[in-house]
Amino acid sequence: MSYDSIELGHRLITLMAAAMLVVQMLLAGQRLLPTVIALFSLQSFFLACLAAAVAYVNHAHHVYIAAGLTLLLKVIVMPMLLQRLIRQTGTRVQVESYLNTPASILICGGLTLVGYMVAHPFSQPQEHGHGSLAVATALFLIGFFLMINQRKAISQVVALLTAENGLFLAAIALTYGMPLIVEVGIFFDVLVGVMILGILSYRIAETFESMDTSKLRRLRG
Amino acid sequence: MTLVLLLLAPLLEAAVCGLLYSRRWMERVSVISAAINLVLAVLLVRNVARFQSVSAFNGFLYADALSALVVGLTAFVAFVCAIYAVSYFRTDFERQIITVGRLKEYYTLTPLFVFALFLVALANNLGIMWVAIEGSTLASVLLIAFYNQKTSLEAAWKYIIIGSIGISMALFGTLLTYYAASHIVGTESIEGLNWTRLLSAAPLMNPKALRLAFIFILMGYGTKAGIAPMHTWKPDSYSQAPVPSAAILAAAVLNCALYGILRFHILASKCLGPEFSSGLLLWFGLGSMLIATPFILAQTNFRRLLAYSSIDHTGIMLVGFGVGGSLGPFGALLHMFYHAVTKPLLFFCAGNVQQHFGTAVFRKVGGGVIHLMPVTAVLFLAGTLAVTGTPPAGMFQSELTVLSASVQGRGLWVASLFVGCVVTIFAGFLYHIGNLVLGAPRPGTSRKVESWWRLLPMLLIAALTLLFGFWLPSPLLHLIQQAGQIVGGVR
Repeated sequence: MSYDSIELGHRLITLMAAAMLVVQMLLAGQRLLPTVIALFSLQSFFLACLAAAVAYVNHAHHVYIAAGLTLLLKVIVMPMLLQRLIRQTGTRVQVESYLNTPASILICGGLTLVGYMVAHPFSQPQEHGHGSLAVATALFLIGFFLMINQRKAISQVVALLTAENGLFLAAIALTYGMPLIVEVGIFFDVLVGVMILGILSYRIAETFESMDTSKLRRLRG
Repeated sequence: MTLVLLLLAPLLEAAVCGLLYSRRWMERVSVISAAINLVLAVLLVRNVARFQSVSAFNGFLYADALSALVVGLTAFVAFVCAIYAVSYFRTDFERQIITVGRLKEYYTLTPLFVFALFLVALANNLGIMWVAIEGSTLASVLLIAFYNQKTSLEAAWKYIIIGSIGISMALFGTLLTYYAASHIVGTESIEGLNWTRLLSAAPLMNPKALRLAFIFILMGYGTKAGIAPMHTWKPDSYSQAPVPSAAILAAAVLNCALYGILRFHILASKCLGPEFSSGLLLWFGLGSMLIATPFILAQTNFRRLLAYSSIDHTGIMLVGFGVGGSLGPFGALLHMFYHAVTKPLLFFCAGNVQQHFGTAVFRKVGGGVIHLMPVTAVLFLAGTLAVTGTPPAGMFQSELTVLSASVQGRGLWVASLFVGCVVTIFAGFLYHIGNLVLGAPRPGTSRKVESWWRLLPMLLIAALTLLFGFWLPSPLLHLIQQAGQIVGGVR
């Protein structure tokens, strides 16, 4: 492989990581549920591209499989399941959050800084990984923040999945992914998890006639 | 061979129950299969006692004394729960609270739940262990939402959301551990995440990454174990799930989650020295005990009371692991053993009372359960005494062991906090349960005929608790000692 194509691969990796972070920021400001799901699908697409680039540059062939699984499950299957869930439950498509958009985006910016600070001690200048690790940590933190900030069950699920994307990115950046069998197991768990979260939000929507999880406040002490 | 069979048996049971439509046959299959699991677990314990450790599939599955202890306890809890479930769900069924379809959901999900818990303890690969712990969460969510009421859906939602955040932190921790060792074990083969491989590589691991990894693991698996302040899902889930599932959550899942933490604790102490990870375990343990105490004193609901008691016992075990020495881990594992043997009894008693009165709130039941359900009431009181560490029950011994280890290891400060919490909780628990059991019943409440199906597992547990309090068979004692050496032997 020529030097140029490796250089190109590294730039592609950085570009894709940056794109994932941008999408995460967009999620914090987005107000429509179907768009939120589409953005998640887009972010996962960037993740799949990034994984493929890492596999190409480092000749780590098992990462191709992980990239393929991401493309299949996170870009296509899971968004489809979630969109169908919205149609079935007939929830209002408006996303409701506790904080307003400017405040949320400000907090996301702060969390990105935290991500860079946490990843700093692990950065080795000769490797490409450090930028991706910082982005991964930021995605992870912002994902959790979005989960707390959202009221609707489905948008909490999407936030959880973006945090999962961050984890996957960290895995690729640090060790070119986990051993294949572990990777497959994680994908299986995430898929089943999304299905169960779907079933549960469906039941919540039916019983409470709303997907607003702030109505879940009976159990105390 | 036993390892493979242990994993196949619950899977087979789930498949069979998925095909059955008759309630009676599902009951039979589940009880028989739980008995088979228990026998297999005993065989595993025997093999481990003989060969130190067993493995299968090129080291993919691996069991030492620590895994064998956890597997044995899980199989025991699942067995008594399977017997109790028969009559518990029959009552629900007769009152038309549930349908056969719902019941089938229970009888298919429970074996999958048990399968995941076995896999946690038997997987050598820490990544697979993570997959199994997450699997156990997924299998149990719908069990918590079983009754499909507003409160149970709320509990299930909190459980899966808090659990998912926790479990993703644990994945991050696993990943960082892999990274910390990647310059030694390489990133090519699956063996890079095998615990046995990592253990030999531990002294050379990247300490910075491993330190961060252990914090993430403690937060992550700690959520699953219900360590304060990540315990908030526990009272909700334990009070909303059907009683047999709640008992499995309290007495078996707890051990498996702690098992996950311990595996990393061993790696961390070997790489970073014992101080770092045991210090964290100790403070989180004391924190859990301190947080559980006021909630136990002021509790109004006896199912939630049991959840706070479980948070307290997690704390006791963590203190034991945290104070270290040779005595600390032994005491903690002894406590894990007695806790798992005795705790289901309290859940079953609470379940009987709740089913009879239709509520789990102390004030609504009133008192005088002893006049209405004499056997349940006596066992409830006896179980309470056992679980709060009154002699001759075994928990007295294990708490005393942890206490003396903490006096030796950390001085009087820790020990006095420990004693303060244990004594306060004893008083609070006995006050609540005493009021519930003794006294005069409310007018208009009727006497209940207690079915034998239901009393059988309860009497079995009571007998075992009493027996183990006086005499722990030497193979079991030896197993716990061996497991204690695995945890504490690194010093």
